[in-house]
Amino acid sequence: MALPLPQGLVPTEVAFLCEMEMVTIVPRQRLESIPLLSGDTPALRPPHRAQMPLWLALLLKKQRRANIVPPAWLHPASLADIIHHETNVDPQAFSPPPPPPTRADGRGRARPFQDNIRSSREQPKPGDDPRLAPPFLPSPPAGYLPYHWLELAETLLAHAADDVPAAAEVRSLLRDLQEVRAAKMRGSTQSLEGGGGVVVLRGVGAMELAESRAFVLGVVDGVRKLGASAEATRREEEAIGGGGRYGGGAGGRGGNFEDSDEEMEF
Amino acid sequence: MDIDDILREVDPSSSGLPSETRDLQSLTRVWVAERSTPELLSWPTDGLVERVNGRIASQIERVEALTGDMDPRSNFALIVIQTELERYKFLVRSYLRARLAKVDRHALHYLSTPDLRARLSPTELAYATRHQALLHNHYLASFLGSFGPTLQNLNDTAGNITMIDTPDLENAVFIRLLRDGRVMGKGVDADGDVEGRTGDIIILRWADAKPLVDTETAELV
Repeated sequence: MALPLPQGLVPTEVAFLCEMEMVTIVPRQRLESIPLLSGDTPALRPPHRAQMPLWLALLLKKQRRANIVPPAWLHPASLADIIHHETNVDPQAFSPPPPPPTRADGRGRARPFQDNIRSSREQPKPGDDPRLAPPFLPSPPAGYLPYHWLELAETLLAHAADDVPAAAEVRSLLRDLQEVRAAKMRGSTQSLEGGGGVVVLRGVGAMELAESRAFVLGVVDGVRKLGASAEATRREEEAIGGGGRYGGGAGGRGGNFEDSDEEMEF
Repeated sequence: MDIDDILREVDPSSSGLPSETRDLQSLTRVWVAERSTPELLSWPTDGLVERVNGRIASQIERVEALTGDMDPRSNFALIVIQTELERYKFLVRSYLRARLAKVDRHALHYLSTPDLRARLSPTELAYATRHQALLHNHYLASFLGSFGPTLQNLNDTAGNITMIDTPDLENAVFIRLLRDGRVMGKGVDADGDVEGRTGDIIILRWADAKPLVDTETAELV
């Protein structure tokens, strides 16, 4: 009965999450609102567009009741921009995550999507809405990849390829993008070895994380276990007030190995 | 949907989330969190799971009522409702099973102090107690009975060595920042200290991430 899966989401679970992403559809038939557990679906009146979760959009698409409007970031020009950014502008980091979504406030201004919860307020109150995060955020503008970009693009190309303009081009661009980012993901393991404590992967995607989760977690935990005695020594020294960083900055990795040797001698 | 939801929907200055949508978001978040952490998290205190279970039960009743009439138009609605129902049931089931796996693995640990016991729901507490009693009785009958009475405990802490297996709180996790803020984490060679921005994905130890997750500054991914 207990779940046999390892700690952390596996790719199938990430795909499940991705199916909650909101997409825009153009209905081809009228459909009354359906009372669902996650709220009523919008009543569909062609040709008015509607927002719905991906799983429902795919169901409607399969039954030829609707067409899916591909998100702005999946356009070939947008993808080419992102690839340009990933390869030329910033060949080290991932392209930045989308800016916080905004919405109209009814007075002609754009405001943050969730401005009833301000970041200035440090402690959220119990009655507050939870701060939204993917997959519940609206689709990002062109030039930014959403958190579930790879799964979303794959699903749309597999089940709604006729709705995606220039599907073949998009496919090859996606492949390029994936390769560029996979190389960065592999490169980021360099910083894991250092044992710096905090590793920031700004702009990484859900599936990229899920793919290398076991490896990354294994490396981080392995480094921690190998360096456990060094870390304890360093903390003791810091507590005494010596202040020196054990092993030094650049020689940190070498310091690790020396310590494990010492351990063996004992 | 109650009157607050309706008011929120027509008020453009609010976020306009109906309570059903909010519950789905909360449920998704607690599920992801429970799947990603090495230790058991607190059972949601606001009655989230009970509320969702109630909704699932009433939705099943609706499905039973709808299957009665053979109207082809309600047929498609039925497919949609059932698909969603299965997704919901998967979420709840996977959440409970992930918790159960942790309770199974470290039953004695979660029963050892009142603080840890408070993390379990009443049914989980009953399950863990019974599970541990059964296990102890079985051990007693099969081999512990032949030892001296001082050697029969499963939760001995003599000599500063505890027999109770605890989850490794220093395991690494992935978090996403929900607001800007400073993130500090312990490391082997040096302690990390990063000025994080909203949306950043960060790898750090669970012990360092827990305060951030508890204050909703970050969520697990």
